[in-house]
Amino acid sequence: MSSPWPLLITLTYVAIAMVIGLRARAGRSMNSLEEWGVAGRSMGPVTLYLLIAAGSVSAYTFMGAPGWAYSKGVAVFYVAIYLAYLALVAWYFGPKVWQFGEQFGHVTQASAISDRYQSPALGALAALVMAIGSIAYAVLQTIGSAYILFVMSGGMIPIWLGVVLVLACIAVYLYASGQRAIGRTNAFQGVLMLIVAWAVGLWAVHSATGGLSFAGVFERIQAEHSEFLTLPGAGGDMSFSFWTTSIIVSMFSFMPPVWTQWMSASSARTIRRSATWLPTYYVVILPMVVVGFIGIFSLPELARADTVVLEYAMQHLPVVLVGLLGAGTLAASMSSSEPFIHSVSLSLSKDVLQPMLKLSDGATGKLARLLILPIMFLVVAPLAIAEPGSLVMILLVGLGFASQVLPAFVGMFFWPRASRLGVMAGIVAGFLITTAFTILWSHPMGIHAGFWGLMLNLPVFIAVSLITPATQGEVVERFFRIAAPRGFTQRIKAADLIS
Amino acid sequence: MGPLLVLPTSRAGWGLLIAFVALVLAGTWPVIGLVNRATLVMGLPLIVVWSYLVIFACVVVMLIGNRIVERDDHE
Repeated sequence: MSSPWPLLITLTYVAIAMVIGLRARAGRSMNSLEEWGVAGRSMGPVTLYLLIAAGSVSAYTFMGAPGWAYSKGVAVFYVAIYLAYLALVAWYFGPKVWQFGEQFGHVTQASAISDRYQSPALGALAALVMAIGSIAYAVLQTIGSAYILFVMSGGMIPIWLGVVLVLACIAVYLYASGQRAIGRTNAFQGVLMLIVAWAVGLWAVHSATGGLSFAGVFERIQAEHSEFLTLPGAGGDMSFSFWTTSIIVSMFSFMPPVWTQWMSASSARTIRRSATWLPTYYVVILPMVVVGFIGIFSLPELARADTVVLEYAMQHLPVVLVGLLGAGTLAASMSSSEPFIHSVSLSLSKDVLQPMLKLSDGATGKLARLLILPIMFLVVAPLAIAEPGSLVMILLVGLGFASQVLPAFVGMFFWPRASRLGVMAGIVAGFLITTAFTILWSHPMGIHAGFWGLMLNLPVFIAVSLITPATQGEVVERFFRIAAPRGFTQRIKAADLIS
Repeated sequence: MGPLLVLPTSRAGWGLLIAFVALVLAGTWPVIGLVNRATLVMGLPLIVVWSYLVIFACVVVMLIGNRIVERDDHE
């Protein structure tokens, strides 16, 4: 690319994000976990809406999803549906998680697990294994960021330098302002992504059809490639069972950054208000996916499906829009990687190193801030530069594991009898099956590996819980007074009367 | 403490639970199979229109849920 504008626009975005991230601190001390970790539980509904929305819309929306549309068709819309279902999950569970955090002092997901089951070992195990999936996710997003800088600079910024630059920018404001930086930058990134997605999408439709209606694109697809308009899609690999089980598994993957976002809200009501409107944000996916459909007839010989939007933009769109696309895609990848890096650092400090080294809360707060540096530059950066071929596999196994932690949450919100050993047994059984059905025998019978894992995990969890000691009654009651303020307490009283 | 499950305690609570389950069913098999046709509605593929209907139905159900939760005054 010969014009300097795309790179200048992209770098301007980076500079603005850095200023916003640094200013988010606003003179506060960031050495406590409450402040650096969950922003002093202060976020209002609009910031929280954009924080969760931008965090869930990764580089996948700007690259992977159009790539799926280009290679498979409408099958890509399972993503939009499960993101909306995640809003239902946030609506129901978010306010309860916030109350756990506010009343019991939790700042991480693993702390809540450790407290509910009175088992620091289970909390540490959850923190460590969640860290694998989280780091793999952050690495993938960092690779996406570096790729964007490489393309926008016309190859002048090599991938290794792009990785270092992006991580250095995130490191500066994440160290300085913690979760407040994530909140403010995600708000900016969320608005930017929405504007860029629709500007690029509408311009691409106009250049392809001469109008602004998506109908022209889909009428041509219907006439020439109708297999893209139905499941199992053009690749023939998105069966009803894979669509359904992928949605269910994704819906029940309670990733740690989401938990931290809920705990950063100013009140339980704030979460409910933000979650209510969250699905409206996912209109951001539609225009990007339409560009993927345009690519089916405009760029039929594309080597890499996930570059369809970038390729189309560089061939048909003005340089300013190409630059905005670069900025938007970079925003999507940065807004998704930074919450994962933050939550890994927070959880490893709080749930693994603090109990292991018997650190004070103050020392743990300082450690959490510092730990982002080795995580970013000794783990994420080398992996992103090396681009290991198995990374997507690691991510799939990691996300598959995330759904296997479901029993811990069943015991936190629905079933008081759940025991520590039951949760551990369920997680181990589910994880083994998920790993085997991801690596050895990929998604048997077209059913997601994580779903197979849950089918063994949940019966094992229930059976082992019933034959092993439950957590102490007062701990369970403490949790269920929040999880079921009416239902459970009434049932306890009824049970007490009967006994 | 017995192996009790947390369930809704009011008619409105049950209604919300049923609405949540109906939303999840609407976006998955077998319902998604009913809209799996290569026809266009308002210029968009039927499955895309259905997906966004489900997405906006989620907003409506949560808005109703907010009214119920705030009316009953429990978080």
